[in-house]
Amino acid sequence: MDFLLNTIRKIDNDQVKEYSFGNDQSLEENLAISFISPKDFDKLNLVPSLHLKISSKQRNIVVKFEKDDNIPEGTITMPVSIWSNQLTQILEDELVYKNIVVSVEATREPILKFEDVIQKIRGIE
Amino acid sequence: MKRYPCSGCSLLCDDIIVKSDGLFIDKIIGACLKGKERFDQVSAQNRITSPLIRKNNELINVSWEEALAKTVEIIKNSSAPLLYGFSNVTCEAQRAGMDLAREINGFIDSNASICQGKILNKAKSQGINLTTITEIINKGDLIILWGANPAETIPRLLNKVLFSRGKFRMTGREIKTLVIIDPVKTASFRVMGVRDLALIIEPDKDIELIQMLKEECCSADSIPSGGVAGIDKSDLKRLLLHLTGAENGVIILGQGVLQPHADYDLIEELLDLLQLINDRQVKGRISLLLLGGHFNMAGFDHVALSSYGVSGKLQFENKKLVKSEDTIVSKINKENFDCSIIVGTDPISHLPHSLSSKLARKPLILIDNHSSATSRIADVILPTSITGIESSGLVYRIDQVPVELKKILNPPNNIPSDEELLNQLIKKFNGGAK
Repeated sequence: MDFLLNTIRKIDNDQVKEYSFGNDQSLEENLAISFISPKDFDKLNLVPSLHLKISSKQRNIVVKFEKDDNIPEGTITMPVSIWSNQLTQILEDELVYKNIVVSVEATREPILKFEDVIQKIRGIE
Repeated sequence: MKRYPCSGCSLLCDDIIVKSDGLFIDKIIGACLKGKERFDQVSAQNRITSPLIRKNNELINVSWEEALAKTVEIIKNSSAPLLYGFSNVTCEAQRAGMDLAREINGFIDSNASICQGKILNKAKSQGINLTTITEIINKGDLIILWGANPAETIPRLLNKVLFSRGKFRMTGREIKTLVIIDPVKTASFRVMGVRDLALIIEPDKDIELIQMLKEECCSADSIPSGGVAGIDKSDLKRLLLHLTGAENGVIILGQGVLQPHADYDLIEELLDLLQLINDRQVKGRISLLLLGGHFNMAGFDHVALSSYGVSGKLQFENKKLVKSEDTIVSKINKENFDCSIIVGTDPISHLPHSLSSKLARKPLILIDNHSSATSRIADVILPTSITGIESSGLVYRIDQVPVELKKILNPPNNIPSDEELLNQLIKKFNGGAK
């Protein structure tokens, strides 16, 4: 299913806090996460044990999800983080952090680990 | 107990009470969650307090001499160094960064250029009405949050501007109308009262709202009966009434409005709308306040303008400032650099993969005080003190007002401030000549 991805700042899912006071596990816990509307939750036939695979044209990530009544249907939000920035884009030398068309599917694949994201950025897939 | 400004975010609250003996902080009164976290960074478990160099793909503690020698070696082997960050440091450190860029013929830019600096850049040709926090507190009667969620990004902003009673007002919150325009019902919606206006706009339809408001400013009754961008007609009429009838209105702009589009420029359209409204205004005016999170995001442009006569990015060649069409994004994207010096920021986390992967391919020197995704790939890490707690200096608040940060504690291991470290590096290249 196609969604619009919006990256947003959330005080409880804050990367600076996690980098300063947390560890790799708490980073994954609080930042490798997405929020979707309850209607989309039903449309995707989600159950809590599943994860979401979110794919842009270039890359994909696997993160956990939470239902959030405040998210409009057809939109998926993620806290600003190294995970969401695997999907953000560039348009004419400007950065696109909002309204990125992504494809979303339920998956049993494990959540993408922080060290794996770093390795991907370093070109070691 | 003494009063100190807080460097937790760009609001720089100057009413934080701190009890300290100069060695430890015993008590902090009045700080928000972000401010408290800032003070807690002094003893954070992931704080970096000694220099590190990557050897055999592992970061190793080394002496300052060795770390600085490695830094100099990387820079001397570079013909196109890139300096980036500088929005979490003082203006003095920003100036030192610019001088270092001149000494090593580098390109320097700050986080502001991908955030609120974009609006100021556009405003160079169109003009802009800015305002200050004090003016909003004292005179404001309309506050519009457009794509902004200060409740979670600048937690005390709404306390100050919405719930305060101004000098020139008989009442406080009662006469201040809050309008929020956002596709997501964010935490900021929770402070809304009955006479406020919550406008849940359809994602990426801000342009339709702006164009309708512009049309309505020119010819009345042009609002379609079905509304625009998911907002119904009566709400749109109320919005326009507020915009044209407020005595001192402010639109607080967040990242939501900064997004680029292939076929139109939302910021230019918004600045146009603002001009139209202010032309039509009979009682007062509508101004802008640009939200940016880092505590000195506004400073870089001021320092560049006062030191080198240009606001924003600077490119040096033969130790002279030259014109450049490049931006930090185009520089990295075209890989038009051969090493980077990152100061007080984490581009590996906050830039898209296509850019962060290019930064990671070249030698990277990080100047920062805590670990991050960037520290995971850096070749050299030079730790610095925590500005506003362990070192002092000038910074610019969110509304372009200068504030002096004060030192409360001595830093551990006598680590230098950003300014001291950057000046040490300059000396390595020019031998101390001014």
